[in-house]
Amino acid sequence: MVKFLSDEWNNYGKEYIIKKLDPTKDLKNVTTSLLAVIENIPPNDTTMNFYLGIEDGKLIDFIVNTGDKFEEKVAVFTVTGNYGTYKSILKGDMSMAVALLKGRLKLKGSKMQALKIIKPLDGVIVSLKEITDEFED
Amino acid sequence: MESEKELKMEKYGYEEALNIAKKGSHCGMCRFDFLGTGLCPSGKENGFLAYWPQGRMQIFKNLMTGKVKPTEKLKDITNSCPLCGICDKQCNFATKLRPEKVAKALKEYTNNLDESEFQDIFEDEIIKGLREIVGEKWVTNDPIITSAYIQTIIHPDSDLNHYVVMPETTEEISKIIKFANKHNIPFMPRSAGTLLSCATPTVLSKAVCLDQGIIIDLLRLQKLEVDSKSCTATVGAGITAFELQKEAYKHKLRANLAEAGAHVCANIASTGITSTWQNRYGWAADNFTDLKMVDDKGNIKNITDLDIKNPYTTERGFSDITLSAPGIITECTMKLHPVFDDEDIVFVPFEHLKDALSMIMKLAKRQVGLSLIVLSRKYFSNFLCPTNEIAKDFEYICKKYLKFNWVVDVICNKDDKKIIEEMADFTIDKEMMKTIMLGAPKLSSLKESEFMKVLSEEENPSKAIFAGPMRKHLEKGLEASPEQIAKVYDEDLSEFFKNVYSRPHMTDIMWHHAFRILPSRLMRQRLFFAQAGMIWAADENKILKLVDMLSEVCDKHKFEHMLGFILPMDDGKYAFFEYDYYYDHNDPDAVKRVSKALIETTENCLRMGDILMVLNYLFKGVYRKEHVLYPIPRAITEEEVSLFRELIQMILGEEFEW
Repeated sequence: MVKFLSDEWNNYGKEYIIKKLDPTKDLKNVTTSLLAVIENIPPNDTTMNFYLGIEDGKLIDFIVNTGDKFEEKVAVFTVTGNYGTYKSILKGDMSMAVALLKGRLKLKGSKMQALKIIKPLDGVIVSLKEITDEFED
Repeated sequence: MESEKELKMEKYGYEEALNIAKKGSHCGMCRFDFLGTGLCPSGKENGFLAYWPQGRMQIFKNLMTGKVKPTEKLKDITNSCPLCGICDKQCNFATKLRPEKVAKALKEYTNNLDESEFQDIFEDEIIKGLREIVGEKWVTNDPIITSAYIQTIIHPDSDLNHYVVMPETTEEISKIIKFANKHNIPFMPRSAGTLLSCATPTVLSKAVCLDQGIIIDLLRLQKLEVDSKSCTATVGAGITAFELQKEAYKHKLRANLAEAGAHVCANIASTGITSTWQNRYGWAADNFTDLKMVDDKGNIKNITDLDIKNPYTTERGFSDITLSAPGIITECTMKLHPVFDDEDIVFVPFEHLKDALSMIMKLAKRQVGLSLIVLSRKYFSNFLCPTNEIAKDFEYICKKYLKFNWVVDVICNKDDKKIIEEMADFTIDKEMMKTIMLGAPKLSSLKESEFMKVLSEEENPSKAIFAGPMRKHLEKGLEASPEQIAKVYDEDLSEFFKNVYSRPHMTDIMWHHAFRILPSRLMRQRLFFAQAGMIWAADENKILKLVDMLSEVCDKHKFEHMLGFILPMDDGKYAFFEYDYYYDHNDPDAVKRVSKALIETTENCLRMGDILMVLNYLFKGVYRKEHVLYPIPRAITEEEVSLFRELIQMILGEEFEW
C-alpha cells in the first residue's frame, strides 16, 4: 500500500491496473483518456494531476505531474476537484459518479460520452483504491 | 437494547412525545409567522435548527433512538424554550401535531439526566477558523445541534461528522467556502430543507445528503426590500416565500412563489419555482432580474456580470443529472407582478381528467387567466380540510357521490372569467369555496347519509349541490362558520382557531393561492414523494397515458398514490405534473417500495419521450426555461436505457436492486 500521488503510487498503480484489470471484462475495450486535476493538496495548498490513457481497454499511460496542466497529451476528459474529494473516492466513501453529480468533481468534456466510459473508469478508481492507504492530513 | 430503550421511554412516559417526533416531516411551517402568533422565541434568538420546534422534535427522536448523546448544549436548547405554545398553534394548523409535548418531554428528559451523562465536546482548528469568519455564536460542531439537521441534509446513518455555520452576509459565505476548500472539507448550503426531507428517506438519500463537512445554514441572510417602481424585490437567502409575498402585497404586487415555507433563493436554485401562476409569470430564469451567487471556489458574482460565461444555459439530455446548484444563491432580485382589482377565482369540477385537461390547456394556449391548475380531489380535500380524517371523508364524498375527481382552478380578471363561464357547464365561485372550507367538517360527516345517496342519483351531483337549486340548502346545512370549524381542533386550541378562521384572508381562496400555507397539509404526519416532470403538451392523450403508467407502477408497488396536479406552462406548450407517492417514512419496507417506483417511473418516462423528469431539471432553476425545455426531450433508446441504469446504480450504490 502506498501514499496517494507519490512516485510509488504511480509505479505500483500502473502495474496493478495492468495486472488486475481485464481489458475486455473490466475496461470494456474502451479507448479514452482522463486528466484528473487535484487541487488544495495539503500542506501547501498545491495542485497536481494524473493522466490516464487507455487504448482498447489496455492502460497505456499513467502519469503523475505537478500543476493543473499536462501539456504532453490532450485528454478526452478533464475532471477537477479538491484533494478531499479524491480522498473520499479512493477511500470508497463516494463514487466518482456521485462526486460528478454533486459538483465535487467538475467535468470538462461531454457528459454523455463520460457516462459511456464512467463504469470502466470507476473500475480503474476501484483498483487504485486497493493500493492507496496513505493521504496527506 | 431496544427493550431497554422502550422501558426508559415508558418510565418517563415518552411514547406520545416520540410518536409525535417521528411524525415530524420538516415542513418548516414553524419558522415563519403565518398565523400572527409571532415566532418561536428560542429559534428566533439562536438561529440553529436545534432551537426551532422541528429541530427539537428531531433531537428528541435522535436521543430516544440512541443516535446522539446529550451535551451541555442540550440544556441551553431546552432552557431557551419558554413553552409558549406558538409551535402547537402553527404545527397544528399545518400537520395536526403538538410539538410542545415533545419540547416538554425533552425538557424533562434533560432535567432528569445525571451530570455524568453529558458528553464533552472538543473544539478543533476548523471551529476556530470558522469562528473568525462568522463570530463565536454562529458556528458549532456540537452533535446535539448538528443532529437536528438529520433528515434534511444529513443522512440518518451518518456519523455526524459535521459543522454548522450560520453566515449573515455573502462575503462571509465566500470566506467559508474558501476556508472549506483550503481544508478539503465538503460543504453544502441549507435553506428550509423540505425538499431534502422528502428525498432523504428514499433511495436518493446518500446522493443528496452531505456525508460529512460544513452545513452552511442560510437563515440569517434576511434582506428583503421591495422596489415598487421597478416591480422587483431584493431577497436574501433566508427569506421564505410567505415573507416575500407579504411584503409584495403591501405594494399591491405579487411574486411567483412556491409553498409558503420554501426559501425563495433556494427554490429558484432547486426547482425553478413551480406555481399555479407559472403559465403567465414563467419558470426558472423568468422569475428574476439578477442573482448574487457564490461559486464553489468562493468567488462572488452576479448573474448579470458581463465577464462570466452565459449563465442561462445548461446541458440537456437524460444523462445530465445535477445534484447541486451551480453556486449558492445568496440574494435574488425577483420580478413582481401587478395585483388587479377585478381579479376573481373560478372552479370547474370534472369527473374525468381528460375533460379537465382539455379545458386547462385551451385556457393556457389562449393565455386566459393568471393562475391555472388542474387539482385532483386528493389535493383539493387535503388543502381545505383541517384534519386527515376529515380530508379522507371529504375525498370519499367527492369520489363516491359528487363525481368530483378533478377541478380546474383559475384566477383571472373579469373578462377572462366570462370566457371560462362560457366554456363551462357550471362553476363554483369564491363564496361557495369559503362555505366549503368552513363547512368541510360538516360536509364530511355526511359520508353515509341518505342525502348524499339521493344527491348521487342526480345527473350532475356537483352542479346540483354547488351551483344548482340545492346550493341554498347546502349553505344552510353546512353551518359554515369559524365556530364550526374550530370545534375539530383540540379543546385548548379551539378558541385560537376560531379567531384564525374569522380573519377574512384565511377563508379567501385567492389569498391562499398567493400565500400557499395549505400545501403543508400534504405532509400531515407523514411524508410523500413527489414524482414530477414536464411533458410536451401537444398530445393530451399522451399526458393521460403518462398518468395511467404512473398509477400502474404505484399499484404494483402497493402504496397510496394519486396525481396531485397538472399545470400548464410556456403558454400551454408544456404541462407540469406532480404525481405523489404517499407512505409512512418510518416504515423501511414502504420506503423500499416507494424507491423502486421512483426509479421505475423515471425510466418509463424517459422511454416515453417528450418528458423532462425532475432528476433532469433539478438544480437548473437559474437557467432560461428555453434552454432547459428545448429541444423537446426525445425517447431514449434501449442502449441509453442501459446507460441510465448504470448511472442510477452508480448514484444509488450496490444496495439498489433493479
